[in-house]
Amino acid sequence: MDTLDTHAWLADHGDYLFRMARRQLHSDELAEDAVQETLLAAISAQARYAGHASPRTWLTGILKHKIIDLIRRNVREVELPRDADGEEAVDSLFKQDGHWVDPPRPWGNPHAEAELSQLRRVLDDCADRLKPVMAQVFSLREVAGMETEEICKELGITPTNCWVLLHRARLFMRQCLELNGFSKAGAA
Amino acid sequence: MKWIATCKETSLLASRAMDGRLPFADRLAMRMHLAICKNCARFNQQLQEMRRLFRVETGAVEAVAPGLTPEARQRIETEMQKKLGS
Repeated sequence: MDTLDTHAWLADHGDYLFRMARRQLHSDELAEDAVQETLLAAISAQARYAGHASPRTWLTGILKHKIIDLIRRNVREVELPRDADGEEAVDSLFKQDGHWVDPPRPWGNPHAEAELSQLRRVLDDCADRLKPVMAQVFSLREVAGMETEEICKELGITPTNCWVLLHRARLFMRQCLELNGFSKAGAA
Repeated sequence: MKWIATCKETSLLASRAMDGRLPFADRLAMRMHLAICKNCARFNQQLQEMRRLFRVETGAVEAVAPGLTPEARQRIETEMQKKLGS
């Protein structure tokens, strides 16, 4: 088949797939598994590839399913969004009357190449610091751009749990980014 | 939900609004709060900013992240050969 050069997949798209998986799974090992499973599944499914999409788009579609599979396998032993830990952590961000303890500060606007690569590192570090299930739901939503209903269904959690997880993840991500140089004041 | 939500409640509403349309009463409570609270208005903006930074499609610095290690690449290549040969 002319349009499908399986040997080129790894060479041309391996790094791309790995980076995508890494940003959603927050683990080198799991990301490598995801890439391998994707490419092996692609070999099995190549008859179904009709050439409608570019190979990269097609492989990315398979990767998304593999990532969800891997998350689902890992999600079982993870804490529920109701757990007191997370709830207390959210409570600590707000005063008794519901006001911010530390109001959000303005963020800078990085443009230079060096600033952007620094920013990427902070994004990844902060995402890695979230509790696994939070990081994964956050990544499926904000990195992969999956719809919330889709994520709930795939992971077998209720929409309310999904919202609670995303709310917490966003609060913590925001705080982490700010503490690590995103705010103008913090950079000084 | 009261007519005007607290900052804590608003942070949840603003987060939920990133994932779908809020019911009317919630949307109203959030809007009223955001109109008078600089802190939450900023929080809301930063939620959008985070989305812009994280989305793969707009991630201008994607190539900066490390790729597959030679060992992993080799391992995957071997598995692919096995599969192709079978």
